[in-house]
Parts: sequence; C-alpha cells; structure tokens
Amino acid sequence: MRVVIAEDATVFRDGLVRLLEERGHPVVAAVADGDALATAVAEHRPDVTVVDIRMPPTYTDEGLRAAIALRREHPGVGVLMFSQYVETRYAAQLLADNSAGVGYLLKDRVADVSDFVDALGRVAEGGTALDPEVVRQLVGASDRAQALNAVLTAREHEVLALMAEGRSNAAIAEALAVGEGTVEKHVASIFAKLGLPASHSDNRRVLAVLHYLRAG
Amino acid sequence: MSGVITRPLREPFARRTWAEALYLVLTFPLAVAGFVFALVSFCLAVLLAITFIGLPLLAATGLAARRLGAVQRWLARLMLGQQVAPPPPFAAQPGLFGWLGSALRDPASWRARAYLLVKLPLAVFTVYVAAVCWGVGLFWLTYPIWWRSSGPGPVRANMFLDAAALIFRGVSSTGPRLAHEVTVHFREDVYADTWPRAVLVQLAGLVLLLAAPWAVRGLVSVDRWLIRGLLARTRGSERVRELERARAQVVEDSAATLRRIERDLHDGTQAQLATLAMNLGQAKEKLEHRANVPFDPAGALDLIDTAHRHTKEALAELRDIARGIHPPALDLGLDAALATLVARSAVPTVLHADIRDRPSRAIETIAYYSAAELLANVAKHSHAEHATVEVTARDGALCLQVNDDGIGGAHPGTGSGLPGLNHRVRAVDGDLSISSPPGGPTVVRVDLPLHA
Repeated sequence: MRVVIAEDATVFRDGLVRLLEERGHPVVAAVADGDALATAVAEHRPDVTVVDIRMPPTYTDEGLRAAIALRREHPGVGVLMFSQYVETRYAAQLLADNSAGVGYLLKDRVADVSDFVDALGRVAEGGTALDPEVVRQLVGASDRAQALNAVLTAREHEVLALMAEGRSNAAIAEALAVGEGTVEKHVASIFAKLGLPASHSDNRRVLAVLHYLRAG
Repeated sequence: MSGVITRPLREPFARRTWAEALYLVLTFPLAVAGFVFALVSFCLAVLLAITFIGLPLLAATGLAARRLGAVQRWLARLMLGQQVAPPPPFAAQPGLFGWLGSALRDPASWRARAYLLVKLPLAVFTVYVAAVCWGVGLFWLTYPIWWRSSGPGPVRANMFLDAAALIFRGVSSTGPRLAHEVTVHFREDVYADTWPRAVLVQLAGLVLLLAAPWAVRGLVSVDRWLIRGLLARTRGSERVRELERARAQVVEDSAATLRRIERDLHDGTQAQLATLAMNLGQAKEKLEHRANVPFDPAGALDLIDTAHRHTKEALAELRDIARGIHPPALDLGLDAALATLVARSAVPTVLHADIRDRPSRAIETIAYYSAAELLANVAKHSHAEHATVEVTARDGALCLQVNDDGIGGAHPGTGSGLPGLNHRVRAVDGDLSISSPPGGPTVVRVDLPLHA
C-alpha cells in the first residue's frame, strides 16, 4: 500500500517511514502539517494516510480537522489517526458518519510493529482500527456499560471490545487463543443479546457496536 | 541668584499662572452647579427616604456625582496637568437590589459628593482672593492716574479693606462718583495725596500684583489636594487592583508553564520514546524468525543502535524539562543554583553572590528564573562578550543584577521575555529596572523581598 504520513516530530516521522518502507509499503510523502497533508494526498492519491492529531500551527487538533476534510474530499483514502492521547470526542467526530477506512491508534501501538502494520492495512482496505483504549473509553463513557456488564459474559465482553477495535473473527480468535468457531458463536450471542442485526462484514459490525455504545 | 530675583517678576506672565486663572474661571460654574446638585439631591433623597424612591435617588445621584467628579478630573488634567488615577469603575452586583446596594456602598460616589460640597466654598474664596489681588494691585499700581484725575478731596477708601469694594463699586458706578472716592488714606487722617505717598501706594500695588499668582497657586493647590484625596483612586483600591492583576498574571503564568511543559514532553520525550518503542519492536521482530519478517540480525543491531541513541537523547531532553520545572541545584541554595546556571551560560559570565539571609523557596525560584531568563537574553540578543551576575540577599531584600557589555537597546515593554519577567517579579512586590542605552552596556536589576 502507498502511504502518506503527516507527523511533526521529525524523529518519529523518520522512524515510521523507515518501518513502512522496510515492510514494503512505499511512503510517497511525509509531511509535517495539515495543509501539506491535503496537498500531498491530492497529488499522490495514497491508499492510506497516517495523521498525527497535534500538529503546527496550533498544536491542538489540526490533524483531526485535516483528516475530516480529507475523508470528505477523498472518501477512498484510509485515515489512521495517530496520537499520544485518546480523546473520546475526537474518536466520535471521526467516526461520526462512517467508520469505513478509519483508524485511531495510540502512538504506543507502533511498538508491536506487525499489529500496527496490520491495522494500517485494515484501514487502507476500508476497514476500521480502533485503539483498545479508544474502545475502553467509548464503552466506559456509555450509560449502557452497566447494562453490558449485566448481560454479557466476561468472554463476550472481550470479544465485543476486540470487535469494536475492528478486528476480524480470525484476528479475535488469535488474540484470545480460541478457535474461530468459538468466536463466531460468541459474536452471534452478543448480537442476539444486544438486539443488533447480525452482520458479517467486519466494518458494518464495528459500526453497529459503536452505534450501540454511543446510543447509550 | 538671578532666578530668585527674576522669578517673582516673571511669574504673573507665566503660562502656568494663566492656566490656573483659566481653571478658576472655567470650574467656577461647575462648582456652583455641583454644589447645588450635591446638596439638593442629598437633602431630597433624605426627605424622600421614607418613600421607595429615596434610596434609588440617593444611589443614582451618587453615580451622577461620580460623573461630575470625572469631569472635574478631566478639567484638572487639561488645565493644571494634574494626573490622578481614576477610581475603579463602578461595579454593580446583579439585580436591582444588588445595583442599589453597590451604588450606595460605592466609596468613590460618596467621596465625589464630598468634593462637590467642599469645592464651592473653596472656589468662592479663591476667586475672591484672586480678584482682590489683581484688582486692587492694578488699582494701586495705577493710583496716580485716579488720584490726579480726582484731586485731593473727601476720601472713603481704606487702604486695605475698602479697596476691593471700591473696585467693584467703581466698575458699576459712573466716573464722577469715582473721582470723589479714590484718594487712599493710610490712617484716618493721613492721605496718600502727595507724590511720595502715591509712589508708596504704587509699590504696594506692585507687590500685590506679584503676590497674586502665588496666592492663587496656594489655593489651587488646596483644590489639587482635594482632587487627589477625594476624586482619585485610594491606595486601598489601587492595591486591590494591583493584587488582582498580579494574581491573574500568576494564574496565567502557571497555566502557561504547565502548557509549555506538556508541549515539551509531548513533542520531545513522548515522541522519542514512541520512536524507541518502534525501533525495538522492529528489531525484536527481525530476531524472532517470524513468518512475515525475515531473520536479520544486522538490521536488528542497526535498529538497536538507533534506539540506543534515541534513549540517550530522550534522557537529555527529559533532564532539561525536569530542570525547567525545578532546578535541583536550587535545593542547595540560590548561590549554588546560580553557579550552575552561570557555568552553563553561552556568554562567559562571572557570578558574585553574597547571600547572608536565605530567601524563601518561592523567592529563590523567581530569582533563579529571572537570572536564567536574563542570561538567555544576553546570549540571544546582546552580542556581549562578558556578563556578570551579582546577587545579594540581606536586610530583608534580595537584589539580583545582570550586566553585560553588549549592544544594549533592551526594552522592558518588548519581547525577549522581559514583560513576563516583570509580571512575575511584581507579583511578589518586587521591581525590575533596566538600563540599556543603545550601544550598551545593559544592566538589569531585579529587587525582590526575601519572603513572598
């Protein structure tokens, strides 16, 4: 996949470029602010962008604003927000209409290189990648969290969280060290308990779960 | 010596004299109006106090008195050049009763009312004295004209007291009557009807004319004193204002400091550590014999090398940030901390420290950061070759002085951190003074109390 990176910390940006190039993903542009990102995306039409939320000039949320504009203008380009912090409000804004091709990860996640590259690949293909911390906050912020605890078993809870991160059944099975069939059974049970329509597309079910959480 | 002689002679024609005379004339109608207003409104409000409009009337007229006081201040500034800080603007509490209470308790309104009541008697007296001095003085100075034109004859004017009355009467009456009344007498039977005596009268007139500006000045000074005392901001309210400003500044400063530290951590240390984690993660996978990552010890070593370098950089940055929050050397005392600071300075700097009484921690910290800021300025802007830092702490006061032999031109109002420094120093009742002529040298002095 072809990648554009927007990140103002030089050392981190260079490290990221090196990592992705080594994994065979050409970084077609690495820029340091939102305006440059818009220009680079329009020029290179990448599969996915990695965007730092805090960038010059205001160091607040220009990355996020640039990303939202990007999704409007180039819906086919995946956007992975990359941040030192998780802000539920940012996640909610980003996922407002549609979670296809959206990711929001803590920068720490890059330490598990393969997981990170997988997540980026998922976003590039129109999937979703939410940081466990984002999911935890979304679940925690939800009034339905209590209800969830009452209704779901501990294992189902884990599966729900991994689903919300945007993982496939296979990935969930691997993360929990169980068979894929078991995961499918848990998923079906969760959807039945929450009264959600069953969905096989990973992306659609993320949306369903998030929508359920946000409605709380 | 010549000034002592010529000054009284020049004074009647001095600009200031005319300004004061003009002030008297122009403020007289205002004094009359203000007096009537203050008296009538107060009496009316007191009489109506049993009805529901009494107190609101008192409150509203108090605020109006405040306005009249402002006009008076404006006139005094315009004509007398008297600069007084106006009282803080009226701040009403919410609601009708809040407004009423605030207005009735507003000290500036009551003081303005008092001024309006005192101003009129003072103005009347001042105008009277001015008229007597100038009028009688002129009359006596020109005495031979009147004396000669009327010739010796019956006399009514007493030399000192009746003269003013005579002027007023003279203005209103016709010529012939005047002619009878203008021969001045010294005693009941001694008339100024010979030339030597007439010259004596003239001399007295001259003295009176020369004295007039001083008499007026004295009485205008009383007015100035009243304006300062009743229409200016009181020391108390001034102090409250100053403290409020200082407090807001301190709160703002500490918020800004926390923001800066967060930014430094975010952009520096966190980015370094995230990169470090990334490099180590990559290296680990290269050594793990994974399906999707080729085994590559050389590549891993290279990444570990990079990570190693980043770790050292992150440590250095973290140390700087920590020192920015609190320099560890300050725990040993201000002189130790300053010695470290001076040793790190980009411009060769000598420290002279004489700390007999140890200041409080807060003061030490402010002094340290003042020195750090000033030395940073020296390094950035002054092009100096040498600098000195002198610090003394004794007799309840700390004095920090940073000198450099650079190009000068430092200004307290402009960038380079001086305004912020000034605020921080003033927040603890300290003082920052700068001497930095173009071409240098620059001397910045920070005075602080030993205990905040």
